[in-house]
Amino acid sequence: MASSDYLLLLLADSNLPTGSFVASAGLESYVTHGFFSSRPVNSALDSTVSFVSDSVSSYAHSSLPFVTDTHAVIHALAQREGADDTALVEQALEDIRQLDELYHAMTVNHVARRASKAQGVALLTLYSKGFSRPPNITVTEQCPRETRMAMLVDKLKLAIRREESHGHLPICWAVLAGALGLTLERSQYLHLFLHARSLLSASVRLNTLGPYASQQLLLHAISPLIEAATARSSHLRTGLQLPTLLPTSDQPAVQDAEEFDETTDGPAVTWPLGEILAARHDLQHSRIFNS
Amino acid sequence: MGDSSPNINVIRKIDAGAGRIVLGLHGSSAVFSELSYTYPLKLLSPRIAHQGVGVIYNLTYGGGLVGGDHIYLSIEVEHGAILVLLTQGSTKVFKSRPGRKVAVRDHDPRQQGQGVVPTKQVMDVTIPDHSAIFLLPEPVTCFRMASYNQIQKFRLSGKASAVLLDWITSGRKSRGEEWEFSRYYSTNELWVDRKRIVKDVLLLQDEELDVKPLPPRKLCDRLSPYSCYATVILYGPLVESTIQHLAGMYEAMTVFKRSTAPDLIWSLSCVNDYPSRGGILRVAGKETEQVKKWMGDTLQPLEEVVGTDVYRKAFW
Repeated sequence: MASSDYLLLLLADSNLPTGSFVASAGLESYVTHGFFSSRPVNSALDSTVSFVSDSVSSYAHSSLPFVTDTHAVIHALAQREGADDTALVEQALEDIRQLDELYHAMTVNHVARRASKAQGVALLTLYSKGFSRPPNITVTEQCPRETRMAMLVDKLKLAIRREESHGHLPICWAVLAGALGLTLERSQYLHLFLHARSLLSASVRLNTLGPYASQQLLLHAISPLIEAATARSSHLRTGLQLPTLLPTSDQPAVQDAEEFDETTDGPAVTWPLGEILAARHDLQHSRIFNS
Repeated sequence: MGDSSPNINVIRKIDAGAGRIVLGLHGSSAVFSELSYTYPLKLLSPRIAHQGVGVIYNLTYGGGLVGGDHIYLSIEVEHGAILVLLTQGSTKVFKSRPGRKVAVRDHDPRQQGQGVVPTKQVMDVTIPDHSAIFLLPEPVTCFRMASYNQIQKFRLSGKASAVLLDWITSGRKSRGEEWEFSRYYSTNELWVDRKRIVKDVLLLQDEELDVKPLPPRKLCDRLSPYSCYATVILYGPLVESTIQHLAGMYEAMTVFKRSTAPDLIWSLSCVNDYPSRGGILRVAGKETEQVKKWMGDTLQPLEEVVGTDVYRKAFW
């Protein structure tokens, strides 16, 4: 398996067909509704940083718990001893569907739902088409992790096609990152980085920022924002009790259900204005993004 | 008000701040088969002329809640009755007093060193087919340094109906408070036939982490220019015409590029998944009165369901 650094380089590639280039996560609507001021000179920079800050904080608080729990399920599936791959995969799939269902119930905004599902499914396709082993590269012994992950992703894609599951972005991201063996910390961090970077790409397409200014912000402003958002939200969980994460004779419990307090440890939206603006996306007279 | 006094026999030995409401139908009039509460909660039911509708005012002594207050309200509506739950004036949440320290998690830097006791309101509601709940309180107003948790669960059957209004103001404007409370957490869960359709969770608190070299971004920066945010969850056959009315208004809007933010802004998302229609309405406004007036005008189709008197009590 490729090193973790090499995986980061691959996953951070802005050319990956992840669907994020058609999503502005409410930025276009924010600009149209008059919340973005481009004068005086520094205002465009300030307005962009404000939007990214509020958007990333809220997204981190609402989506990272799902990345974390899904990653834990994938990790457990990869580690668990047992010969019956199918049974283990079925249980993990059931847990992932529960996570997907809860994320769906918590993402009420129909525009965000639509974008999240489109991007989630694109990530699963990326895994099976872009990250599976090509036919000319053979290995003498197939590792059990790869077998289970391929099986899981296929079953999840089928469930989504049959509309038995939704395929939301944070869940599918954690499936992809976990299946590739990326650590939880890196999966969380990269998820927020990709969210923030796609907002800056959207700014350039909307012409509210130039490409150089966008790069300046990525280096000097976005980095501390992502650090702070990760620090605030990386410990959050969904609160769902997932059978894959229950203790077994050889492994301790991944989370203690008794300890969970949803008011301090659970997912939440922290920017209600962002929800309203994102939901109003389709009302714009002219628009270039899908969200 | 208060002319239908609770049956003393059914008040059990319950915890402070606990209450229970069971509303049913007797012939065509709504009757409370159970109505009990303990300090600091107080529930009053005024006489209502509209058939099948029962009204409860949810009050707290002293007109507000202080740190450490826990309110737990359990509600059941039966046999096709409609319960309307109102408050008298805004629910005030006073400053949480430091002192008895809440359990602090090592991994949670936000909780450390604050040592405040939050105020908590929990509501658990069960509504069978053909019955309904209309939760139409005045907004919550959290004072400077207040900390508030609200957890509301609504379990509906497929043909039950619900209108759940949950709203918050920026504080006591007369004292210059603009989003200066410590923490506000509110969750509304809607279950229909044992399936969780909506779980809407809002958390408002100042970010305390340093994001140097960026300037601190306060809660009021995030929520301005608005000082009132409202969410209304609508579900079921009794509110279908209201949702249609809202959807018609919403879809008729076209937004052209503006240079300044509007005074009032709203969105509607429909939940069409299963088994029938529901919707979530969100409204933000620069003035609370303006949001209230807008809702009163826009939710007008509900007046037919609960009667003019009750509707006016909620939105006037």
